[in-house]
Amino acid sequence: MAETGRLTAPAAYAPSWMREHPVTALRIAIIITVLTGWELLARSGWLYRDVVPSLLSIGRALYETLSDPTFYLHLTTTFYEIGLAMVIGGLSGLAVGILIGGSKLMQHAYEPFLYYLGPCPKIIFFPVMIMWFGVGPGSKIAMGAISCFFPVALNVAGGMREIDKVLIRVGRSFRANTWQMVTKIYMPAMRHPIINGMRLGLGVCLIGTLLAETKLSNRGIGFLVIQSYTLFNMPQMYSLLIVLFVIAIGANALIGRLGGLDTIRRT
Amino acid sequence: MAVVAMPTGRDSVPAARAAEPILTVDGIVKRFETPDGVLTAVDDVSLSVLPGEFFSVIGPSGCGKSTLFNIIGGLLDGYDGSVRVAGELVHGPHPSIGMIFQEESTFPWRSVIDNIAFPLEIAGLPKTERYDRARHFVALVGLDGFERRFPAELSGGMRQRVSMARTLAAQPKIMLMDEPFAALDEQTRLLLGDKVLQIQQELKQTTLLITHNITEAVQLSDRIMVMTYRPGKVKRIVDIDLPRPRTSEIVSSEAFGRYVAQIWNDLREEATRGMHDDESRKRRGAPS
Repeated sequence: MAETGRLTAPAAYAPSWMREHPVTALRIAIIITVLTGWELLARSGWLYRDVVPSLLSIGRALYETLSDPTFYLHLTTTFYEIGLAMVIGGLSGLAVGILIGGSKLMQHAYEPFLYYLGPCPKIIFFPVMIMWFGVGPGSKIAMGAISCFFPVALNVAGGMREIDKVLIRVGRSFRANTWQMVTKIYMPAMRHPIINGMRLGLGVCLIGTLLAETKLSNRGIGFLVIQSYTLFNMPQMYSLLIVLFVIAIGANALIGRLGGLDTIRRT
Repeated sequence: MAVVAMPTGRDSVPAARAAEPILTVDGIVKRFETPDGVLTAVDDVSLSVLPGEFFSVIGPSGCGKSTLFNIIGGLLDGYDGSVRVAGELVHGPHPSIGMIFQEESTFPWRSVIDNIAFPLEIAGLPKTERYDRARHFVALVGLDGFERRFPAELSGGMRQRVSMARTLAAQPKIMLMDEPFAALDEQTRLLLGDKVLQIQQELKQTTLLITHNITEAVQLSDRIMVMTYRPGKVKRIVDIDLPRPRTSEIVSSEAFGRYVAQIWNDLREEATRGMHDDESRKRRGAPS
């Protein structure tokens, strides 16, 4: 208790807005600390030139990157790859998940495959994908789709099994056909596992796609990152990483919004 | 006091109300394969319900009431005997039979009005028509003003009224209820019973109620069928000769008390048997 008291005591001297929004204040504090530390490290000269570039040079590089028209071509390529990979991987994961979750037989027969292949690093398939789909966006889409497929399929299969059985009986008692059962009962009843699967899927899809881009490609943000690394343009590399952070956060927020997690009330 | 003992329940329609039964259940036998051998859940149960009648099936836990409910509702297959609605043999869920389940069964992702419009959506009614009809049933169960609310925002009693309105919206000839108030507290249960009485009288809704609650059965029913414990057979069918329209106030009347006592008399024997059976099974370490 005393420890906690000592930790919170300075709050008494803090401005009133900090006391009213302690979470925001703490968040701002950690960001300022990290940025200050970064800048001190950059100016200290302890590390080799530009490994930790100054905030100003990163900012300048970010501005240059964002005002370069070719950057947007690469950005579009990456968006296109991720988008298509999510659609392909997500839909196939959904279909397989419903199939496996809907039948004991299918579950016993196939779920072990998903469990053992799921955590397997997908990058080992990359050479195969290059041979199948070429060095262009095709192989990146394939990598993203394979990565996204597993978490979606496993989450949907689990979600299928956890659907309240009485809701299925309600549907049957009103004589809903199979399509109506899937679209009006199974899918909405599984909205949380589906969204969770898509979220996890999005994470590994970004990894799969960008990793593939950094390995072998001539377009995309991953390609730009590895290019600026080989040219040792550190400020530009960091600016691209910032862009990637923003993309990941934005995509995550979008999936949450599309799933209606903000509007649909939970029980 | 008109108490008619009908050992098998067949042809149990009193002469005074001789009309064509709308629901006829004849010689239902249902057996389940269990690790301990074959269990006969329902054994030769027959009953018939007249149009507009409120018929209850009462019995101790494990008498096969819910099995009977699922068979009549068409959700359970593989039984002997027959279920007929207005003379027509029924197999599988039938549009004339509307089911209300014991469990919480509203769709949490649908608002009250969308829950109630669900069966109409399944049936393919145009949007305006289904919302018009759904609104009518919202009002009928007294949930006006809650149309846009979600089940999570309602009380248990209100949610069960949503389920009831949803089933009624499909306009079934027979409303089949499986302990719809089991999860509610006693006061809510009595008040909801009033609501059911009022709706039933308003719509002249033929109703078959499955319950283990004697007060509830006597409060609502025209006739009560008492079932035996495992295998579930018809023990007796009791006519409830209480005036209609009724409200929950009837529970304090003397006649009400006599019916409750009489049915408890029948039921006690069965419930005791059930309890001993359950205990001896638990002693052997087998799941009940």
